[in-house]
Amino acid sequence: MTNEISVMSFELNTSIANLRDLRASDLRDYDAVYLGDIYCRLYEANFLERPDDLRQGLRILRDQGKRAYVTSYAAPRNDYLFRVRKTLEVAAAERAEAVEIHNLGILKIVHDEFPGLPVHIGGFANVYTDSGVDVLRGFGAVRITPNYELSLDEIREIVAACQVPMELIVHGKMPLGVSDYCFLLEYEEKWGIKCPDLCQKDLFLKQGDWAMKSVGKGIMSGKDVCMLEHLPRLLADGHRHFRIETLSESPEYRSQVAAVYRQALAHAADAVFEQDEDWWRVVRVHARVGLCNGFYFGKSGMDYAGIRPEAVGSLLTIPPTKS
Amino acid sequence: MIRLLAPAGSPEAVWAALDAGADAVYVGLKGWSRGGARGELTWQELVASHRRAVLAGRALQVALNTIPLAHERSRLFQQVPALLDLGIDTFIVNDIGILAALRRRFLGLRLTASIGCGAQTVADVAFFRDLGASAVVLPGTLDPDEVREISGVPGISVEVMLHMVEEFILLGKCWMPSYVHLKPSPMPTDPLTPADPEGADRGLRQTGSMKRGGVGTCFKICQQPWDLFEGERWRASRLFPSRQLGRVAEVGMYVNAGAHVLKLQGRSLPPEQLALLVRRYRDALDGVSRGLALADRTALPPAWTVVGR
Repeated sequence: MTNEISVMSFELNTSIANLRDLRASDLRDYDAVYLGDIYCRLYEANFLERPDDLRQGLRILRDQGKRAYVTSYAAPRNDYLFRVRKTLEVAAAERAEAVEIHNLGILKIVHDEFPGLPVHIGGFANVYTDSGVDVLRGFGAVRITPNYELSLDEIREIVAACQVPMELIVHGKMPLGVSDYCFLLEYEEKWGIKCPDLCQKDLFLKQGDWAMKSVGKGIMSGKDVCMLEHLPRLLADGHRHFRIETLSESPEYRSQVAAVYRQALAHAADAVFEQDEDWWRVVRVHARVGLCNGFYFGKSGMDYAGIRPEAVGSLLTIPPTKS
Repeated sequence: MIRLLAPAGSPEAVWAALDAGADAVYVGLKGWSRGGARGELTWQELVASHRRAVLAGRALQVALNTIPLAHERSRLFQQVPALLDLGIDTFIVNDIGILAALRRRFLGLRLTASIGCGAQTVADVAFFRDLGASAVVLPGTLDPDEVREISGVPGISVEVMLHMVEEFILLGKCWMPSYVHLKPSPMPTDPLTPADPEGADRGLRQTGSMKRGGVGTCFKICQQPWDLFEGERWRASRLFPSRQLGRVAEVGMYVNAGAHVLKLQGRSLPPEQLALLVRRYRDALDGVSRGLALADRTALPPAWTVVGR
């Protein structure tokens, strides 16, 4: 069994919002990238608003031998749909390997108007049940990111019922919600920082021991989901598609965390999973608020179910690494 | 003819809403709706409420808008034949899988995609129509022009929730509270079986967000004060933005936009306040149908704010 798992391929992917960040990123340890920011049309040079940038981004990824995916908005309104269709046209013309869909209306558009495009279902599509998976498969879904609230046990039950590949966040800040409104705009005058620069600041909302990260119209966990010591469990459960969420992170975070997981996944199927302490040093440096396991173990999202002392968290006492 | 759909968290609230002029009332069935402060009806209360609605020539709808775990789902589906036998054939659901499963099993059912399903566009509404929904609830944050465009989608009834709390995070897209606390609650009792013996172990259901049916889990984390930091630097103390949306003055615009149902949020409202709220919207709707200008343009009293989600 160990040998079978060790030769099986897995996919390590991430998300990148714009051409600037794509060019600044060392993607050697990734297999695939989702292009675009799902939260806001005004996010700086969002791939989802710039067809030429998107074409270029897809070609850059292809030249690097990466699978190129295009994401889509989590909560669109009617006036987004023209732009959504233009983005899908580019994705189809440039033969993106899949589109990530968080919104059911966009799923219908892809199904009806771009039937050749494979669909990966994103976390905001709220897949909670096996019957939900069946519905989405009927609309062309070939991979599912279940809602982040699902435990690994629940995910296993869905996989057993539906036999559909799941994509799981293994590291990074977990999305907790999406809004129509960016409250950061209230601070443009006071702080002298304008959109689109506001949401690219390192902005955390703190209350006692809790912290969440604001990315403008999105709220993400303050702690980084970290499944590093639990990779053997994920592989044993049959999972092979793993997301490192870096949408709001620095290029250094993006590349260094990926290097850790690339190395770790290569050994996670060994009889004894020996963890390199260098991995944890890197993870700790980048986890400014601390680590959690999300909802994977049936606990509150900010809890950690492993044994690593790093998980206790530092709550913003570690200096930021983003330049 | 556009209809007014009112909430009710108790039998008394059902009577109040009907007497105030609601064309239909929606209630939650205990254990299967997003309850908490909103109030849910026991089976016996549901039977009595439905009888009252029928006598009044109106309709009662049932919110089954939790997302039960797989082993709980069969118990949910077991409630359906009894509800149909009672004469209740409109259910409000919150999950595409449950909607599709109910559609397959119970052909006579009318299924409404809850506001928690997150529909905001023509494409969203078309999706739910294709899935088998008879109606879809849109948030009152959509303006009349958006509703007009959406009402053009054939084959599905468009409901607009004109009285609701507009929270920072979109309804159905928030799991902030369960990031902090995941709060199991007891499994609901079966309405058609005798009450559980004292001390009987009903087991715990794992709950989470309000989307999932986390009863009492939404402790309004978004309405507690937060400190905003940029890196290490404190920048501000704040609440997340939220407001009570009450579009009674714009009823005519939504009628003209083609909405089929005007829906009110407020299963947590006490009957006396609910009655006043429903009467205000009833008067507005009747005035529109008679071509009259809205007589009372005063803002809705803060007491009508929906609380305790």
